[in-house]
Amino acid sequence: MSSRVCRTCGGSDIDVDQARGSAVCTSCGSVLEDNIIVSEVQFVEGSGGVSSAVGQFVSADGPVKAPLLGSGFHTSVGKESRAQTLQGGKRQIQQLGSQLQLNQHCLDTAFNFFKMVVSKHLTRGRKTEHVIAACLYLVCRTEGTPHMLLDLSDLLQVNVYILGKTFLLLARELCINAPAIDPCLYIPRFAHMLEFGLKTHEVSMTALRLVQRMKRDWMHTGRRPSGLCGAALLVAARMHKFRRTVKDVIGVVKVCQTTLRKRLTEFEDTPTSQLTIDEFMRVDLEQECDPPSFIAAQHKAKMQQLEQELARKLDDVEGEISCYKDEIETELEKSRPKLRGIYAAYAKEIDPEDAEVLSTTSDPEEPEVEEDELQAAAQHLTQDFLCQVIQEEEGRGKKTDDREQEAGPDMEGVETQRQAAPLAAILGKLPSAASLGLQQTFEESETDEQLEGGELDLDGIDDQEIDKYILNEREVQMKTELWMKQNADYLKEQKEKEERIKKEKEQGTYKEKPKKSRKKKEQMEASTAGEAIERMLEKKKISSKINYDVLRDLNSRGTGSGGGSSPSRASSDPPDINATTRKRVNRRRRKKASNANRDLAANASMMGKRVRLLISSTSKKKTSNQTENCVTMTTDTTTEEAAAEGTPDPEPYTNPTPAAPPTVLEEEEEEEDEVEEECVSALQLVGDYGCEEEEVF
Amino acid sequence: MDSSNDDALDIIITNVVATFRTRCHLNLRTIALEGINVIYKPELGKVLMKLRKPKITASIWSSGKIICTGATSEDEAKLGARRLARCLQKLGFKVRFSAFKVVNVLAVCSMPFAVHLIDFTKNNRPIASYEPELHPAAMYRIKHLKATVQVFSTGSVTVTGPNVQNVATAVEQIYPLLFECRKPLCKS
Repeated sequence: MSSRVCRTCGGSDIDVDQARGSAVCTSCGSVLEDNIIVSEVQFVEGSGGVSSAVGQFVSADGPVKAPLLGSGFHTSVGKESRAQTLQGGKRQIQQLGSQLQLNQHCLDTAFNFFKMVVSKHLTRGRKTEHVIAACLYLVCRTEGTPHMLLDLSDLLQVNVYILGKTFLLLARELCINAPAIDPCLYIPRFAHMLEFGLKTHEVSMTALRLVQRMKRDWMHTGRRPSGLCGAALLVAARMHKFRRTVKDVIGVVKVCQTTLRKRLTEFEDTPTSQLTIDEFMRVDLEQECDPPSFIAAQHKAKMQQLEQELARKLDDVEGEISCYKDEIETELEKSRPKLRGIYAAYAKEIDPEDAEVLSTTSDPEEPEVEEDELQAAAQHLTQDFLCQVIQEEEGRGKKTDDREQEAGPDMEGVETQRQAAPLAAILGKLPSAASLGLQQTFEESETDEQLEGGELDLDGIDDQEIDKYILNEREVQMKTELWMKQNADYLKEQKEKEERIKKEKEQGTYKEKPKKSRKKKEQMEASTAGEAIERMLEKKKISSKINYDVLRDLNSRGTGSGGGSSPSRASSDPPDINATTRKRVNRRRRKKASNANRDLAANASMMGKRVRLLISSTSKKKTSNQTENCVTMTTDTTTEEAAAEGTPDPEPYTNPTPAAPPTVLEEEEEEEDEVEEECVSALQLVGDYGCEEEEVF
Repeated sequence: MDSSNDDALDIIITNVVATFRTRCHLNLRTIALEGINVIYKPELGKVLMKLRKPKITASIWSSGKIICTGATSEDEAKLGARRLARCLQKLGFKVRFSAFKVVNVLAVCSMPFAVHLIDFTKNNRPIASYEPELHPAAMYRIKHLKATVQVFSTGSVTVTGPNVQNVATAVEQIYPLLFECRKPLCKS
């Protein structure tokens, strides 16, 4: 103890008595400290003469308040939030990692990643599940274990791309360079799953060679490595005389049939596929191929080229034919004796051969007629343009003159292209000059008049065309009717909402919640959970491929995973007073979940956490009501979940749950009887699995 | 633009997205009922209007903010936006055309060689990322240009950036990097 100064007299001579634990000033006698903290170990004698040390172990992570509520609560009470987060994360990592069969070293590394992530505040706004999955996958990649992102997403029932996004972000933020995936890593794992018995090693070796060959043939860039592995394993199995069908392989490898077939056909196109089995094992071809997509693109380009050539040839041929046709006609004309005078007139009428001559003579008239029309149009346009030009010129002055002079030499080039009569030429000059000049002036005007004032610049916009975009009155009426009919539901909803708000305002209970008006779901009345599920599936049309018989069979079995995940979530929640009833509720809920599909069970358990939070807020109700809530809410929320699978946002989840209890409350009495039946059946089921339940906790 | 290569590399702009404001409140129902080529989505709170002349789709919100997509050049986007504003004017709203801004440009380019994505990612470690499980292309983000380049193994490249200039610069920047990891194509 450092010598201190006495407060009363200022003397520095202080006597510290360790036995009494007091510090006394010797000059004035005032007691400075009582009950000094000593760093000694004290022993206490327990029952049976056993002496034990007094004290507790304290963790090094920050200050810890002693848990005053007793030692029964393992949950993190009285710890800092950061410590809580880390502890929760560690637990989840352990659980998920053990499902993936990762060793302890990997799990520790994953926990370290998680600690880094938390310290960088990257967990904010993201589900802990996703972050944990990303950390685990990061470890898998750095260690080179044969785990795919698909495996993780299977376990968590989350969209692979969402996990991928989180993973990429974490890898970027933590500056961890995950090495690229090598399909060779997956081969031993898949080979093992395909059960080749003693020959597994040989088949793996062959498959590895195949994959390496595929890599050299550029089949692996941009593709999922699992697809390649699947193709390689299939071929290797066949080579070693194992009858593995495509279905077996895709069940293990998790790609679809089409992909596998495509890979096989691509491999077929490479020269390696022509070798025999022995040759393949011995020889390595030097030549490398182009990537298959490139070959496909080249093929397409070639086809297009061929088509173009064909079209051109056709044109040429047609051109030739018409040439011949013209030549023949001219020859015929020359050879025919020309009639003069009256006879010519008669000849025209009589001679059918001259019909062609007539047609050819009439042809030059038509272009003249067209040109007349052109001239008329040109006149009309010039008038418009000229008016505008004059207006511009008043503002601009010299510049347009210069432009027109410049345009002068240009137009002559334009003119030679036109086969116009001399009159048209003069008229033709003006429009082209005007248009050229105008365009340049317009460009200037655009750049000069900055659209800061918000005035709409009307150049280049044809008002007539815009008018076409607007319907006239009758059309508007018809469209209104159609639209009203189409959106009748939505309009009704809006009206109801308005009325509701008005009523609440009058009552004074108007809440300014920005609620999204959702359609009220009809409460399904089903006698068993299985029926409810069937009805829901029918309604939602999630999949027509679900085998309902199998679903019903599931009724009698419990699901291990559904049961395993929910108790851990239960333990992570803040402890409730009715801990035992909670457990029973959990079990019942789990049983209900087990009646459903595996997916739904997992969803229900995920929702269970939020549902439970809600229940704890309304804890006055009886437990039976709670189960009711759970049942209807799970069916409600599972439908929502199934619908919104790929986008697990926290918001929509919390919104339906407040909406659901009020509706449930109203129909609570009706459903009580049905629910009690379910309760009975659940109890029966619970009776079967008595031992299993207790083991979990 | 393509000064880095000997033979010109065609950068084809496929999409330009632009936004502007009309500075006045718009009644979506009126627009929906009186316009041709209009889709009204009351749940999302917007109206989709499609123009034919520059092929443009516009999302119109009642606050007066409008997003135009589908144009193939910046000028076209501006023309389309003005057309749209004129159309709204004719419907009776006091439209003022302001705050026109091109927000995103998407361009496609094709290299005359194939690219080895794994080498490319290794060479450009933190900037480039390649996840074959998720997406077949390697993604390269150029921060100072705010452009993203997606490189496919066949050598085709898509670039997205805030304007056409940036997109062109991005292609120029990435060309030498891709050239290093090229795979000479064998004519088979």
